[in-house]
Amino acid sequence: MIKLFERRRRITVQRIKKKKSPFIYKAYSKKPKHTWLKKRKVAERRFKAAGYIAILISSLFLLSLVWNVFSSGRSAFTETQIKLPITFEAELVEQEAYRKIVQNALMEIFPEVKTRKEKRALFVLTSRNAPYELKNLVEENPELVGTKKEIWVLASSAVSVFYRQRLLEESKRIGNINGTQAAWITQLAQSKNMRLDFNFAFFTNGDSREAEQAGVLVSTIGSFMTILICILLAFPLGVATAIYLEEFAPKNWFTDFIEININNLAAVPSIIFGLLGLSIYLNFFGMPRSSSLVGGMVLALLILPVIVISTRNALQAVPQSIRFAAAALGATPTQVVFHHTLIYALPGIMTGVILSIARAFGETAPLLMIGMVAFIADIPKSFTDPATTLPVQVYLWANNPELGFVEKTAAAIMVLLGFMILMNLLAIYVRRRYEIKW
Amino acid sequence: MQISALLLAAISYNGSDTKIEKTMANFERLIRASLLTCTMLSVMITVLVVASVFSESMRFFSNIPWSDFLFGTEWSPQTAMRADQAGGSGTFGAVPVFLGTFLVTLIAMAVAAPLGLYSAIYLSVYASPRFRSWAKPILEILAGVPSVVYGYFAVITMAPLLRTGGEMFGLSIASESALTAGTVMGIMITPYVMSISEDVISSVPKSLSFGSLAIGATESETVKKIILPAALPGIVSALLLGVSRGVGETMVVVMAAGMAANLTVNPLESVTTATVQIMTLLVGDHEFDSDKTRAAFALGFSLFIMTLLLNIVALIIVKKYRERYD
Repeated sequence: MIKLFERRRRITVQRIKKKKSPFIYKAYSKKPKHTWLKKRKVAERRFKAAGYIAILISSLFLLSLVWNVFSSGRSAFTETQIKLPITFEAELVEQEAYRKIVQNALMEIFPEVKTRKEKRALFVLTSRNAPYELKNLVEENPELVGTKKEIWVLASSAVSVFYRQRLLEESKRIGNINGTQAAWITQLAQSKNMRLDFNFAFFTNGDSREAEQAGVLVSTIGSFMTILICILLAFPLGVATAIYLEEFAPKNWFTDFIEININNLAAVPSIIFGLLGLSIYLNFFGMPRSSSLVGGMVLALLILPVIVISTRNALQAVPQSIRFAAAALGATPTQVVFHHTLIYALPGIMTGVILSIARAFGETAPLLMIGMVAFIADIPKSFTDPATTLPVQVYLWANNPELGFVEKTAAAIMVLLGFMILMNLLAIYVRRRYEIKW
Repeated sequence: MQISALLLAAISYNGSDTKIEKTMANFERLIRASLLTCTMLSVMITVLVVASVFSESMRFFSNIPWSDFLFGTEWSPQTAMRADQAGGSGTFGAVPVFLGTFLVTLIAMAVAAPLGLYSAIYLSVYASPRFRSWAKPILEILAGVPSVVYGYFAVITMAPLLRTGGEMFGLSIASESALTAGTVMGIMITPYVMSISEDVISSVPKSLSFGSLAIGATESETVKKIILPAALPGIVSALLLGVSRGVGETMVVVMAAGMAANLTVNPLESVTTATVQIMTLLVGDHEFDSDKTRAAFALGFSLFIMTLLLNIVALIIVKKYRERYD
């Protein structure tokens, strides 16, 4: 019955619509006009909300990424130390048996430890680096020999992880720490023989097998060496290419071909450049594997098209009148470009170059292809020495199953992001400060 | 100053006009020649990229027929060292690899396309200048984060999150799943899709949307019925460029997707992609002349062709669109 009525109403409405009589139309249509408007308004609000939510989700991802990195990376900037009563026995110092010295000190704190198994568990509390620290200390202060002194010694990363989380879960087994070790650590902590100190080693060390000693210095230096090579190659080549294409090249099929080529090169996945580096640089020219030289050359290929495109855009933004004015005063074409156009375009060019360098700085995949995955603990002395870069270091640490490396990875990411943000800020500064709006 | 410079010029020009002109012309020619050399070098690099990857993959295809590579369904490139060794038969059927690439990219686009498009629309149509001033930098930061960081994010945050989320619905999600890699890759591509589509949307002539608003359409109706149809070619090309980025992305999938080549379209399982396979085949110390390493080049070449085609199609679409509105 209702259906029938509804159908009748609709037919009437349609019939009246055709006659365009607003009065009868209003009278017959049960749906007043404002509900349609309401529907449209609701649709409008829904659409707007969808856009807002989309941006919110993106920001949320960024927020959770940053929060994640900071919360797990923060602890890498501190290191855990244990206070040990070290006796520098002359005989042991003579033999350079510093490991024994550390072990003796540990035995002194925990005299109840007797069995070999227990001893082994006890001796891994301190870092494997601790004996070397003592050695350096004695070499600097020879008067220490024969004396006894309380010294803060670096704890192993497993102890460090446990110590930081101890307050949360008292005796739970965390990482590689077993029940007895947990008891020892708790005892040390309660007697105020453990502390957290700023981790200078993170900024002065290279990679290490022991998480507590691993640092980012070597990879940062490697990154800078690689980027230096990359700039030296890509910047002049890219800018020169852009100047030629924009200012000198005749308009013909060949120029078009070059243009298409370079535009396509910018869209090639970065891993393909790694393939190129592997087959041409390493296998054809026989360049040294995993060196910063080859890394820089590969990255130069990667950012060359980006530099060309951004430089061309910057040159295009300079108005023609500048060129005409210079030419009218008798400047030759090269003078027009190098004395006028290029100067005005320079801020734009620099912005593009800085941004593309930031991109090269974060690039990982092509560097892995040319063998930059090796374990490198020493600062590379020349451009042909094996090197590693910051993002590669992040990748290596992220793949390390040891618990202590999780915080190191996050901390290295913080350093990496710090550099990226610095470079982006620099680009923004150059753009705001120097760019001319025509 | 200027007068003295002019005087100096007059003195130095004294009588030897032709000589100076000659040196000037020579200098001009020199500069031009060096610029041209640089351009040629850049072009040579493009040719080099193609040639090196092409020649290696041709050597691969001379050993293994291309039909086996393109249509074979089993990918196990590790050849057995000894006869009795288990696993690794040395077959190069790339279908599972391409399927995995496709699956991960599809998931990535399912995240990136709505997020990127809606953000672009909101930013260019609705957002107040103040909102824009903080929303845009955030998305730019997202675009600038290195991919290895996204990989870490996928492993540390996204994988456990999805696993617990899946358990709530009674799904078991592998720790290295296509879903994890795809979602994070989608987040990574979002700002890219957004910035291109925002450019496209704001390049639609204002008169069109003003006309629509003037006859009483709401903003959303204007966007849906006027702006989007007008900007459609540009948006399609933005999405295609996003796809081409996803296909070529390496670090996220290396860290978050798997190594084993499973022939599956189930996003909850572990899949592998072309870039992951290239990495696993070539990273580390290998002998270089084997089918295994050349297979990586063959994959690289198909990757190159794929991204090239996507970019060319995107370019063609945009060019057609331009002609309609200028």
